[in-house]
Amino acid sequence: MALSPYINAFTDYLRSGDARGMNDYCVDVTQIKRLAVYRNGFYKGCIDALAANFPVCEKSLGRESFNQLASLYVDHYPPEIGTLVGYGEYFPYFIRDLLAVLEHQGGPMLLPASLVDLARLDYAWLTSLMSADATQTLTAEKVNWLVEHGVDFTQAQVTLNASVDLLRVNAGTLNQWIGFKTNSPDVEPLVLSPEGHMNLSELAQADSTINVDTVMFWRLNDAVQARLLSAPEVALMRALQDDGVLEKAFAAALALDPDFDVSDVFSACLQNEILDIDLTKYNYKH
Amino acid sequence: MEQVLLKVNKYRPLSSLTTGAHLGAGLGLKADHLDDIFALPVADDAQMGNQLWFEVHTENYFVAGGPRRHYLRSIRDRYELSFHGVGGSIGYDHQSMPEHIKQVKALIDEFEPTLISEHAVWSRSSGAYFADLMPLPRTQDALQSLVDGVDRFQSGIGRRILIENPSNYLDFTSEMDEPQFLVEAAQRSGCGLLIDINNLYLSSKNTGIDAAQYLSQIPAELVGEIHIAGHDPDPELGQALLIDSHASPVDLPVWELLQHALTLFGHRPVLVERDANLPPFAELMHERQLAQGYLDQCRHETDSANVSLGETR
Repeated sequence: MALSPYINAFTDYLRSGDARGMNDYCVDVTQIKRLAVYRNGFYKGCIDALAANFPVCEKSLGRESFNQLASLYVDHYPPEIGTLVGYGEYFPYFIRDLLAVLEHQGGPMLLPASLVDLARLDYAWLTSLMSADATQTLTAEKVNWLVEHGVDFTQAQVTLNASVDLLRVNAGTLNQWIGFKTNSPDVEPLVLSPEGHMNLSELAQADSTINVDTVMFWRLNDAVQARLLSAPEVALMRALQDDGVLEKAFAAALALDPDFDVSDVFSACLQNEILDIDLTKYNYKH
Repeated sequence: MEQVLLKVNKYRPLSSLTTGAHLGAGLGLKADHLDDIFALPVADDAQMGNQLWFEVHTENYFVAGGPRRHYLRSIRDRYELSFHGVGGSIGYDHQSMPEHIKQVKALIDEFEPTLISEHAVWSRSSGAYFADLMPLPRTQDALQSLVDGVDRFQSGIGRRILIENPSNYLDFTSEMDEPQFLVEAAQRSGCGLLIDINNLYLSSKNTGIDAAQYLSQIPAELVGEIHIAGHDPDPELGQALLIDSHASPVDLPVWELLQHALTLFGHRPVLVERDANLPPFAELMHERQLAQGYLDQCRHETDSANVSLGETR
């Protein structure tokens, strides 16, 4: 018996739940319902991984509703590689698209619109947690060394640490996310329309009337940190992402606010180990 | 066929000290238990064959950095590790193996596990990973696919691996029984076997095979590790269908089957698996000590037999 037709029939069953293609491969067809052990295991593994990777989404929806949503996601986006670490890369966009489809159908919206941002925050937190360890962190000691050796460190090329992630979310979402994440009793409930649902038109209206926050995640001492950035801080970080020269980044921030204290922010960057620098061309030695 | 059968085994043999003969009973490593593990006294009186060790699911450490890798390093600094893969899909779909193997090899190079194992199953096809251990039909074609997968895996990591017997819930069309299938795969590919006693017990209950006869067909020299775990009845079918849940304590018949296996195979590293419904660490350590007791007994009986043999001579 060739292996491929069996695998194809099994795969069809796992994806569709229709076991008829497996009839030829089961010794006792009356036991074919037992195949469900494998399909249930597949879905359970994926759904549990999504719940672990999107804990705030799971908390905010409740486990039963989350499982339904996650199960739909598995239908559309089964894992592609042999690990569930990091599974759910498309989950926020899947929720966004699902909201759009539901709105198009004109039915009630059973999902809170803020779920998209909560999912994006969940995944950004996870990505930061699992990112590569820094090996070239710019420290105050290195800055001092550059200055002592006559190097204008503001002209040096730096990069943002691999754990740094910037994302824009609707104002207030970060606090809500932190509330769920820390099990705060003060957490505000998800925003729903007066009927208990919010549709995309309302969401668009909300988008135009409320501010958008820029959130930065980074990892320090194995713990992910998060904070809202001011407009000059956003300009500074974006400039560092795009160009990497400190002087240009400082200039971008000062262009938005001439009173912006770049030395204060730079010190904070050093303390939080956000910047990396390759000092090999300066013959730096510890 | 002859070419395959004449393949030279270029991997390290299982019977050396470097492949775990000094290990006793181990536990699956769970992040929830880290504080308890770090609080354990350092065993400076470890005897041959009683060392505590930990097993991890290799793919859970496919991360670039961060606390998960850091705590694994801290554990490795104190204990020996076993890397147990669940996503290699060794039985089918080898096209996407190179990237997977690359990540496994990087982890092996960094953490130097004593034991490395995978499952004699498939889990990937048509671009999807099915995140569970899907059964292979025991046919010549599937056997060749499994042998090819093991060969690619071993070549990629440069180490010999063990492959684990699956839990069976129903019978598929087959051309040979499972011991024949696994032994043939091991002999052709040069890998060893990880005998999961709980899987075997479930298969015996779910499909009616004779567990003792199964074990008697496995050459002891192929066995490099043994697993035991808990199981649960299917919510609908009850005791008629036992599920490999790893969510309960090890059941009495599994302990009895372990004793029988140790009698046949001799001292082998034994892992107590628990992946869900986690109890306090002390409870798992209690199960681990039970397993160690069986291993100590096995070692004692072997030593006694050796002494008797010496006296006879």
